Amino acid sequence: MAIAVTNSLDNTVERPGDRAPLVLGNTTYHNITESVCRIAETPPSKLWFFGFFIASSLATMFGLLIAYLLYMGVGVWGNRSPVFWGWPIVNFVFWVGIGHAGTLISAILFLFRQEWRTSINRAAEAMTIFAVVCAGTFPGIHVGRAWLAFWLAPYPSLNLWMWPQFRSPLLWDVFAVSTYGTVSLLFWYMGMIPDLATFRDRSKNKWRRMAYGILSLGWCGSSRHWMRYEKAYALLAALAAPLVLSVHTIVSFDFAVSQVPGWHTTIFPPYFVAGAIFSGFAMVLTLMIPARSIFKLEHLITIRHLDNMCKIILATGTIVGLAYGTEFFIAWYGQVPAEQFAFINRAFGPYWWAYWTMVTCNVVSPQLFWFKRLRNDPKLIFIITIFVNIGMWFERFVIVVTSLSRDYLPSAWKYFSPTWVDWGMLVGSFGLFFTLFLLFCRFMPVINMAETKATLSHQLRHANEHASH
Amino acid sequence: MSAENAKHIHGYMAEFTSVDALLAACRRVRDAGYTKTDAYTPFPVHGIDEALGIKPTALPWIALGGGLTGTITAISMQIWMNGINYPYIISGKPYISLPAFIPVTFELTILLASFGAFFGMLILNKLPRFSNPLFTNSRFDGATDDKFFLYIAADDPRFKADGVKRLLTDAGGGAIDAVMDDESSDKLPRAFVTIAGVLAMLSIVPLLIAARMRVTNSSSPRFHIFYDMDFSPAKDAQKSTTLFADGRAMRTDVPGTVIHSGSEFGPDYYSGIDVDALAKIDPARAERLVRFNGQLPQDGEPTGNPPVTPPADEPVTPPADEPVTPPADEPVTPPADEPVTPPADEPVTPPADEPVTPPADEPVTPPADEPVTPPADEPVTPPADEPVAATAETPAAPAVVDTTPWLTENPLEVTRATLEKGQTQFNIYCAVCHGQNGRGRGLVNERAQKIQATSWVPPSSMHQPQLYDDKYPDGKLFSTISNGIRKMPGYSSQIKAADRWAIVAYVRALQLSQNASEEDVPLSARDAIVPAP
Repeated sequence: MAIAVTNSLDNTVERPGDRAPLVLGNTTYHNITESVCRIAETPPSKLWFFGFFIASSLATMFGLLIAYLLYMGVGVWGNRSPVFWGWPIVNFVFWVGIGHAGTLISAILFLFRQEWRTSINRAAEAMTIFAVVCAGTFPGIHVGRAWLAFWLAPYPSLNLWMWPQFRSPLLWDVFAVSTYGTVSLLFWYMGMIPDLATFRDRSKNKWRRMAYGILSLGWCGSSRHWMRYEKAYALLAALAAPLVLSVHTIVSFDFAVSQVPGWHTTIFPPYFVAGAIFSGFAMVLTLMIPARSIFKLEHLITIRHLDNMCKIILATGTIVGLAYGTEFFIAWYGQVPAEQFAFINRAFGPYWWAYWTMVTCNVVSPQLFWFKRLRNDPKLIFIITIFVNIGMWFERFVIVVTSLSRDYLPSAWKYFSPTWVDWGMLVGSFGLFFTLFLLFCRFMPVINMAETKATLSHQLRHANEHASH
Repeated sequence: MSAENAKHIHGYMAEFTSVDALLAACRRVRDAGYTKTDAYTPFPVHGIDEALGIKPTALPWIALGGGLTGTITAISMQIWMNGINYPYIISGKPYISLPAFIPVTFELTILLASFGAFFGMLILNKLPRFSNPLFTNSRFDGATDDKFFLYIAADDPRFKADGVKRLLTDAGGGAIDAVMDDESSDKLPRAFVTIAGVLAMLSIVPLLIAARMRVTNSSSPRFHIFYDMDFSPAKDAQKSTTLFADGRAMRTDVPGTVIHSGSEFGPDYYSGIDVDALAKIDPARAERLVRFNGQLPQDGEPTGNPPVTPPADEPVTPPADEPVTPPADEPVTPPADEPVTPPADEPVTPPADEPVTPPADEPVTPPADEPVTPPADEPVTPPADEPVAATAETPAAPAVVDTTPWLTENPLEVTRATLEKGQTQFNIYCAVCHGQNGRGRGLVNERAQKIQATSWVPPSSMHQPQLYDDKYPDGKLFSTISNGIRKMPGYSSQIKAADRWAIVAYVRALQLSQNASEEDVPLSARDAIVPAP
């Protein structure tokens, strides 16, 4: 029978020869269905409406600001010579980075057979999609004449009579981010098909049943279907794993292939990827800690899950810190004066406040996760992840703005100041992100029920084997 | 179950509540020889493939095919677009630079392989399939929750209703139900088809309009949503504009702008004129020279500088208060006397070399300048004023006297280094027309003669007596280099003042080289002189 063993609530303790349980309480398969479907089937709480009101207002503001930008031109941003990339690109890199944790959890942890991913991968993948939506918006409107952004695509144009330049990292970026968005969407949607079928089969309302019926494509749970489905899932995971590494690598090429001091370094690809995973896990925790508490999912998203993610944050945060140090070392060791100046200027120039905010948030604050007690305290984790989010935004700010504002020619130096539109768009993109995420929580299966049930099944079998010894 | 009719039975399903019971039943059914069987589970059950005898899938090959398609598409697309159809010429890199094509190739490989995996899975699973006989049994809703179903289809060769029911019961299955064929239509509802059809038709309309617009002509202007700076109110230089309150199209320099050159050595150095001497005979001109070549103006608004139309005597610079570059050499006449020449002519060719218009009282002497020699460097023709230009453009201009107090001495200390500097600069800037030996037969001239360019004014030879320093002082030569003459443009923006003076020194040396007596040669070098044959 599908009854889980009763576990003590602390599943973070390692017992040699024993697998730590990942589903807690007297949970049955049906409990899992109930816990997850209830979120979408009961009317949303006041808290949800309140959050949705704020988030959708900000998203609307974002839309209006984009319309204002298109009408007025890009001069409404603070982008002035020599800082022509400014906040739009900072936001772009930030959001793309956020997305990486979702793919990492769903693809790389899947390939490593880390079963603890099952209860968090759905929300993390959704986060990926929404982050890529936010990310894609910024370069789209940053091209200046956004209504001609389709010129980026290699299509036989009768106006241009030419093709895109395939040697440019900026074009690689177009392919990388759009491929990433598409594959993430496929991965996310494919993972949801069985759960959408569960929603369909529980629907009492005809229209609801029809909508979920169409979305679930007539999934019936046949073993033959499951066999091909699992194969497809493994293939997508194997394809998405190198993809996720390639995307931020290519984003870093946008900088590293240029000649700007502070950008022209070979450390950028691994440094960007580590930073992306770092920021992504922080954002996953920022979203999941309130969600598990509000939706009462503590028995599925357990302390052990948070503990594992904190360890990843600690590891990647330390890698990022090492990268900061390596940049300085190479600047000294390389003996290129402009490069040396760029880094001294970062730490002690006019943007020193941004640099030290970044170091404090990204390198110092995650070090608290060395302590198990701090890793197991959701409130503290939440606060630290907020710091990490802030720090990682500042990292991109430091890279983009400090290097551009002071490159080779002192006569071309200028201090960058954002305008109210820059601020509005940053806040608005968070509004868009949270709007999409709240809608997702309301209408889609927040937790991968099928995989969690499979995890529970393994846990039961394991427990039975132990009992029979 | 009275409606149970062998014709309409699609199969039998049995419900199980645990994975182990299901697996045991599956093995039993398989061992009984049934092949058209399936299990329906809320999550993938490991071991069920073996228990049911499910064969592996060809899906990985589809994904591989997708990936290879992506690779080949990407490489051939990039090679054709950037290497063949529209070669990008960038810093000597090969048109087909494969390393730079790797990222896009990688991305497209992943993309199409993912499409292969996802859509391949759907196609092999025959999804989407919205009409399924199993869905008619409401008990089957548990298959996506916590129930496990074993199913034996009616088209199995060993299928017999009673035998199947007994087998499923023996295998431990509960709630054994017959699944009936779904008699209802599996067509899409009419409303769906209608709406989809209408939407499809409507979506064609914009395409048709666009296609029609492409092939037809229209006399009305293009419809612009975004102006794209096509209708910018910008104006040409020297024209009035409505953009600024003062009506000037060109902006004046910011008050307090420091003159880039000219502040270091004083006006004499930058104009080639003895300004103190000039101040005695032409104070107005001297003042302008001082203003432009020597020091900052005292007030913001120079005299005689109406806001919109600039006076003709400042052709190169905008009507600026403090021009950064020195203007073309000041014509002697005050602006009021000067016929206003079209501005467009001014920047490159100043109207004439120092048109000293005040009628000269002195007897008419041959003007010292511009006896332009014909290309052959014979003895110089009598110095008519601009013979070539005159025949081409204007009737013989009245000869005038140059009263300008030119500097007669090079302000640089003439050393070997100065001369070598001058030689370098001369060979870079001057020799293309004047020739390295200064005889006026540079490559540009030779070419112009060859194609008989009608507007060509042959460059002067440096070796005519009219250009020797007694008739053509160093300051005047400097001024000519700086501001140009006839077709020759001024070089003040390209050659630094010190280098222009070095060129002057070098030109003197060049002249000396063609016009020296034996006494001029140092004693030590005289032995090397080979007498002319």
